[in-house]
Amino acid sequence: MKENRKVKPAIRDILSVNAAKALDKGLHLMGRQGTSLPGKAAIDISPSILALLSSQIKEKTFAVCGTNGKTTTNNLLCFLLEEQGERVVCNRMGANMVNGIMTAFAQAADHIGRLDAGYACLEIDEAAAVQLFPLVRPDYLILTNLFRDQLDRYGEIDTIMEKLGNAIDTVPEIKLIVNADDPLSVYLARQSGHPYVTYGISEKTSGSGETGTGEIREGRFCKSCGTLLTYDWYHYSQMGMWHCPRCGLSRPNPDYEASGIMTEQGLCFMIDGHTVRTGLSGFYQAYNILAVWSALSEAGRRETAAVTVQQLVSRYHPQFGRGEAFIIKGRKVVLHLAKNPAGFNQNITAVLEDKAPKNLVIVINDNDQDGTDISWLWDVDFDRLSDESVRSITVSGIRALDLVLRFKYVGIPVKVEENSKSAVESGLAQSSDPLYVLVNYTALFEVHQMLKRKAKLCHIFNRT
Amino acid sequence: MDGTVKLRIGHLYPDLLNLYGDRGNVQCMVMRCVWRGIDVETKEYNQGDKIDFSSLDILLLGGGSDREQRIVGSELRKIREDFHSYVEDGGTVLAVCGGYQLLGHYYEIEGERIEGLSLVDLYTVQKAPRLISNIVLKNEELPFEITGFENHGGRTFIGKNRPFGKVLYGFGNNGEDQEEGVLYKNVTGTYLHGPLLPKNPHVCDRLLRSALERKYGITQLEALDDTQEKEANRYIVNRFCKNKKSTKR
Repeated sequence: MKENRKVKPAIRDILSVNAAKALDKGLHLMGRQGTSLPGKAAIDISPSILALLSSQIKEKTFAVCGTNGKTTTNNLLCFLLEEQGERVVCNRMGANMVNGIMTAFAQAADHIGRLDAGYACLEIDEAAAVQLFPLVRPDYLILTNLFRDQLDRYGEIDTIMEKLGNAIDTVPEIKLIVNADDPLSVYLARQSGHPYVTYGISEKTSGSGETGTGEIREGRFCKSCGTLLTYDWYHYSQMGMWHCPRCGLSRPNPDYEASGIMTEQGLCFMIDGHTVRTGLSGFYQAYNILAVWSALSEAGRRETAAVTVQQLVSRYHPQFGRGEAFIIKGRKVVLHLAKNPAGFNQNITAVLEDKAPKNLVIVINDNDQDGTDISWLWDVDFDRLSDESVRSITVSGIRALDLVLRFKYVGIPVKVEENSKSAVESGLAQSSDPLYVLVNYTALFEVHQMLKRKAKLCHIFNRT
Repeated sequence: MDGTVKLRIGHLYPDLLNLYGDRGNVQCMVMRCVWRGIDVETKEYNQGDKIDFSSLDILLLGGGSDREQRIVGSELRKIREDFHSYVEDGGTVLAVCGGYQLLGHYYEIEGERIEGLSLVDLYTVQKAPRLISNIVLKNEELPFEITGFENHGGRTFIGKNRPFGKVLYGFGNNGEDQEEGVLYKNVTGTYLHGPLLPKNPHVCDRLLRSALERKYGITQLEALDDTQEKEANRYIVNRFCKNKKSTKR
């Protein structure tokens, strides 16, 4: 338990929290998702409000960083804690900059600026971490992975690692939880000088490769000495059984391990002698669950981790387009956010795990939040979608024409639609087979809203 | 076209220089040969591999981080003379971003000079901020604009050399002279990625033609249906060049 400081909010802090709450309520009434605006208002009124509220967390604060899997890992961790009756502050919508996190705290606080919560689960943007860590002072940083992402926004991966390193340095007591299979994450943890534990998958799985598949890999070279790393196998991207032949830096023996991974009928595997059955698709979800397991164990909830994870993960439903499933007109529609090559390739794997005939819709925008540079589309292995189970591909979004070319040069014909709405309609009209919808960031909200509405209507009229 | 016509494309250090979808440039060249019945072979060269320039018709050098560029620079300096002869003999080269910078005399970064290959008379100096933007160029010898994306901290100065294009939108070599890239003999150096070639089939064909001419004396390429390529290109031109200030400053 944390040292419980007596917190005395000043008038300005109380005003700040209430302004945020009012704005939050107002936006809700208007039917708008205001994930950042209320937080911004609060900080404008009282710049110290975030530190004041976060200092009232009674037990532990978890920060979740990393290129892919942040939202799922963070929401799953929050879900499991809440299922055990804990009060948790969580930015579950994935608004992971300062304002979004402030909004989550303001929503959880009462009207006089007091917070009654045991835990905070905070997904934090890597670039915002330097600013946020000293304010929310996480006890643990869960680092999911490090991949190339939106070069125009984040810069090269070296830049991101430097930023994260600086953020970690602002919190002397922080402990790191990192993926042993990712040499970049392990290097970062070692370099930080902070205590760390690792999780990983120490066996080859059906999807593992022994050589490169042409998939662009970060961190092929030892961060410590620059030598090409040697791999016994890869799970995907640079994740695998690695070591440096020159300086000896190697994959640590994980403190927490998953084994016996099966993906055919919903992801299923073992952790520490316990079977975890999930309704999730996608090998990468094993890492997310493993990260959550490690975090709960580290936070002194090892026994409960064992019980809750295996029992509750099957009840967890992916949200906000992270593999979220809908039933529309009697068929399954699955929405995946895919915004960088590693994530996109993993989502293609998840789609192809379903051997049944299916249709696909892909929507790519290039708004500021998406990254205005879409050259990464050429680093995605779209040729794998020539699989015979893929009956049709419909593309849309601001950069639909780039997608058309991307597919043209791997010999896959696609249909273009004016907007994401007509693309989904067209995908649904192809056949009654399942529809997979892969979108990047700004397309996510509109497509998510639309699918939710459609699924609700189908439910009401019992047309499933 | 006669089946004995064959081009060999060398992709240099793809595991070091692979930012920004560079492999799309290779895919584009390969497919545009295949569609025309031209035999094509691609070979990747990684650290330590011996490069036989006389066996190659097109050389591709991509972009990487500063650290990776440093490694490639030291590798290439060992074979600089062979590379130089290839260029002077009219060998076709496409160098993008970091690869483009390596063509020159040096890249100055925080007071330190990373030595280049001095294949083309140009130099680069790093300066904040990075120049990040969609970009549109005009080259009078090409039937329509060149479109792409740029993201570079280096400011490149090409002296009396011909640029790859005039900047209609975006920053270009240095954000000052409204020029982008460099053309020297059959070398094309540019900051444009995206990748460059799929949306610019005229640039791709220009590279293929120069290689075919050097090897076989072929100067005409069979026309392809580029409707979709032109559409994607036109979209960028219309979006950034209509009713907007000519360059981004």
